[in-house]
Amino acid sequence: MKNKHLCIISFLIFVLLTGCSKKELKVPLEDVGMVDSMAFDYIDENQMRLTVAIPQYSPDAEKDTQTFSITTDLVSSGIVEIEKQSDKKIVFNQLRVVLVNEDFARKGNVRKIVQHLYRNAEVGNKVLIAVVKDNAEAILKGDYPDKPSINFYLNNLLEPSINTAFNPNTNIHDFMYSITNPVVDTVLPYVEKRGEKLEIKGVAIFKGNHMHEVIKPEEALVIQALSGQKNLAPLHLDINAGRGEEKVMIDLIESSVKKESNKNMESPKLTIFLKIKGTLSEYKGEREAHLFTAERISDLEKDVNKQLEQDISEFLARLNKTEVDPAGLSEEFRMYHHGKWTSKKTRELIRKLDVNVHVETSIISTGTLK
Amino acid sequence: MNTTKGKVLNRYHVIFLAQSIMIGTGILSLPQKLSPMGYTQSFMPLLFGVIASLTLFAMVWLCSKFPNDDLFRMNEILLGKWLGKFINLLVIIQFIVFSAGIISNYMHLIQSTALQEQTITMPVLCFLLLLIYIVSGGIKSIARFCIMTFFITIGLFYFTRWAIEKGDPSHFLPLFNFTPKEFYEALKQGYFSILGYELILFYFPYIIDQKKAFRHSLIGIWISIFLCFITTAISVMYYSEWQLKNVEFSVLNLFKAGEFTFIERIDIIGITLWVFLILSSITAYVWCAKRGMDTFLKKKKQSYQLYIIALIIFFIVKMPFSREFQEKLFMASNYVGYVLVSWPVFLILIYVIRKKQVQV
Repeated sequence: MKNKHLCIISFLIFVLLTGCSKKELKVPLEDVGMVDSMAFDYIDENQMRLTVAIPQYSPDAEKDTQTFSITTDLVSSGIVEIEKQSDKKIVFNQLRVVLVNEDFARKGNVRKIVQHLYRNAEVGNKVLIAVVKDNAEAILKGDYPDKPSINFYLNNLLEPSINTAFNPNTNIHDFMYSITNPVVDTVLPYVEKRGEKLEIKGVAIFKGNHMHEVIKPEEALVIQALSGQKNLAPLHLDINAGRGEEKVMIDLIESSVKKESNKNMESPKLTIFLKIKGTLSEYKGEREAHLFTAERISDLEKDVNKQLEQDISEFLARLNKTEVDPAGLSEEFRMYHHGKWTSKKTRELIRKLDVNVHVETSIISTGTLK
Repeated sequence: MNTTKGKVLNRYHVIFLAQSIMIGTGILSLPQKLSPMGYTQSFMPLLFGVIASLTLFAMVWLCSKFPNDDLFRMNEILLGKWLGKFINLLVIIQFIVFSAGIISNYMHLIQSTALQEQTITMPVLCFLLLLIYIVSGGIKSIARFCIMTFFITIGLFYFTRWAIEKGDPSHFLPLFNFTPKEFYEALKQGYFSILGYELILFYFPYIIDQKKAFRHSLIGIWISIFLCFITTAISVMYYSEWQLKNVEFSVLNLFKAGEFTFIERIDIIGITLWVFLILSSITAYVWCAKRGMDTFLKKKKQSYQLYIIALIIFFIVKMPFSREFQEKLFMASNYVGYVLVSWPVFLILIYVIRKKQVQV
């Protein structure tokens, strides 16, 4: 009897209580605009130009990408402004690419905007960051008639591929990691727009929170090799070893690096052993007709070693002079240093650093033709 | 159900009770809690393990002197009826607030990462219903749940492989690079991540093989310690020192390093599976609180205390106080947890002094 009453009362309560529930404001999937790419342009210290690109799936629309631009001081207030223009709710779950223009990287606070995205739990870890020459907005708004859409194009361009292995593929975690880590300076790919094409022209090196300079792909390859990347891009070398000008192209298969420091902060010395294995894919020069025996090949290997040692040493000496350390060489000294390590110590150390490079190349094949 | 009287816990139950209660929300933010020590933190969990083993020894020794009584009875025997009852009341309050703290922490995590557009009322209610269901099964059902939890969640460690690949082992060096002050900070903040094994003081009477209880609990503790060690070691390899200090739930960000083409956010899987770990630790605490309330009642075998406890937890989690007050309250209950860990040592002293009078 008692249970029966209880049942009836609770049934009534549940029925009547539904009237008190609030209408839920959930956005259906069709009304969500998933930002794929963002671009930041420098205006002045307080203002920036924010552009977002959102894929447009409606078959009725003429263009397959929606772009919105706004001038703003904060990223999130910019997004609120953009929502006023947009027919959709802006979310970041599918964010893939963040572009900043060179001015912004040099003068603005890239760290602050990336940190804002890093804080946001919606944003995944696959966001790739790149520096753009001139105007980032123009890249997102540009026309690329032979590409599906700017979002796919940019993402595929910046993603790891063997021929652009000099590209550090800096994602949002890498960026935060390297910019907050005192022993290493951040590197970002540097993209330039040429007509209807985009091109990775090189790599932008940061010094502290600001961009310092752009280096060539060959030099960026050295950084990748020294920071322990296993698979590298094809290596192009000009050799001057007393036999006229020779050109060598080696498809790198594997590389391994070992660094030994003398653990001395006052007169730091670093010895780098770099081993590379690869295929000789092309050769142009005097020895072309003789490169058939193992002996000749090993001669060539020695010349390649010498040339590489010289190139790498020169490049590192140049970097050390400007006190930047994108390859994280000072880590070898931090490992043996007791006490707190600061980026000031890195700068001091890298200026005094004496680098000794040993390269060991082995050409494992020259293709199937004899 | 064969839960109220008699001995019900076999050795596997003992191992996994000790293991699963220890791992709750603590391990999620362990690398951040230990961050005052920077990169040297990776070996801290091992030290914690040593401390835990020593305190566990004291607990089991005390329990072996009273093989049929839990801590609530021991308090009454050793400290006298009224003082004992007062301490028991404090212990019960501590357990309820501690559980509420864990739930609140977890709900805060859910709200900040997974369900940003929802309030946490419904999730908390569902959670408490499950809690009541498991606890009303008695300590054995909790132990079984702990075993299940372990095998369901252990697979999560697979998702850290990308972080290991990307990590830099050179971060482990130099060893012992910290000042005493940093060490103290890390010890103070980090140790409550591994609290939970002290509950053996309450379920000891139910263990079948009491002579080997120490060994079995020790196995459980070191499984957890080892998991904590792996977590901190991977975090140290993967993060910079700034990130260790500032990324709140660093373990979830480790999962984010994953690279599946078909899943965007692996951390969501982590969070949802984590509910098992939370449940397994809280059910044990709530069970102990319920046991404590039993000692105050004349009529045994009542079940409404459990609902009262659940209600109190609900109100603490949803209480209309500021976030700051809540944080302080939960922080305080964490420190009381330290007192509870060292409480057996105090009781042992009293036991030795009053040996003649309290001979059972």
